[in-house]
Amino acid sequence: MNQKESVRNIIPWDGALSSSDFFCAASAFSEKWKRFNPSAPPWLWVPSPKHHLLSSHKEEGYLSLEDMCFIKSSEDQESCRSQTWKEESSISQEEEAVDTATLVQSCFDEVNHYDFHIVYSPSYRVPVLYFRSYHSDGQTLPFDEIEKDLPDYCAKIRLESKWTFITHEEHPYLNRPWYKLHPCGTSEWMKLLFHGDTSLNKNGFVIEHYLVSWFSVIGQVFDLKIPLAMLETVSC
Amino acid sequence: MSAAHSPTSLTKVVVHLRATGDAPILKQSKFKIAGTDKFAKVIDFLRRQLHRETLFVYVNSAFSPNPDELIIDLHTNFGFDGKLVVNYACSMAWG
Repeated sequence: MNQKESVRNIIPWDGALSSSDFFCAASAFSEKWKRFNPSAPPWLWVPSPKHHLLSSHKEEGYLSLEDMCFIKSSEDQESCRSQTWKEESSISQEEEAVDTATLVQSCFDEVNHYDFHIVYSPSYRVPVLYFRSYHSDGQTLPFDEIEKDLPDYCAKIRLESKWTFITHEEHPYLNRPWYKLHPCGTSEWMKLLFHGDTSLNKNGFVIEHYLVSWFSVIGQVFDLKIPLAMLETVSC
Repeated sequence: MSAAHSPTSLTKVVVHLRATGDAPILKQSKFKIAGTDKFAKVIDFLRRQLHRETLFVYVNSAFSPNPDELIIDLHTNFGFDGKLVVNYACSMAWG
């Protein structure tokens, strides 16, 4: 046990982690994701160019999962189909063919693409989820459309919860506006998840499982499931 | 509903609901629930009992189960001593 670890064991854990711990946690998370969730797009580490004159950690960067597709629910597709039916009954045969094709096509266009980035916040000392969404043609989705992709109970959670809410601000590395899940409650509920139990912090247990546990909560906002096998821990 | 020989599909799981932080403690905290039920049932039950829409619900292996997970799967993988311990906390004050 090195000096850093022994200090950690004495001081009660505050639910947060350092930038270099985030890098370790990110490596463990992306590796587990690849192993237990191979059908999903992978989480890739994107190293960031150094902004500062002073040398920063060479492990500075963020995790990126791009092009997760959210297909419109079958209910929506059915309402598309019922519109087709109405159209067919009121127009001539020639027009019918064209209109049907147009309506059907708009159903198939209803695939929303999501990019997710897990970025470390130095001020809150926790990971933050940034996301953006766009149609297949590249057009950005406005927030009220993103909301339709989220499970119903999530809307309630976002409105009422003091722990997760969505803001629209500049991505810390990409200088473009992205949406993010605000991190102010993160360290509190991360502390709860690990019971604030410093004994769990032996041998880097917390670091290794931090992002998996974090994602089990955050992923629910988008109904992104973690396979149970990925959540299994070796000890306790 | 308590048959002597229950087929696997009717297996009931003991769930122990544990208050954490400043969450109110339930009068009755141990329940039997069908293994084929989803975790959403536990969440909804807690919401109704505590009259709160937003709760933070998690299990001891440091994660918050997706509401679609089956109780029996959670119990098999993360149960301990014959029961599944489900912790809950209330939304904390903004700070």
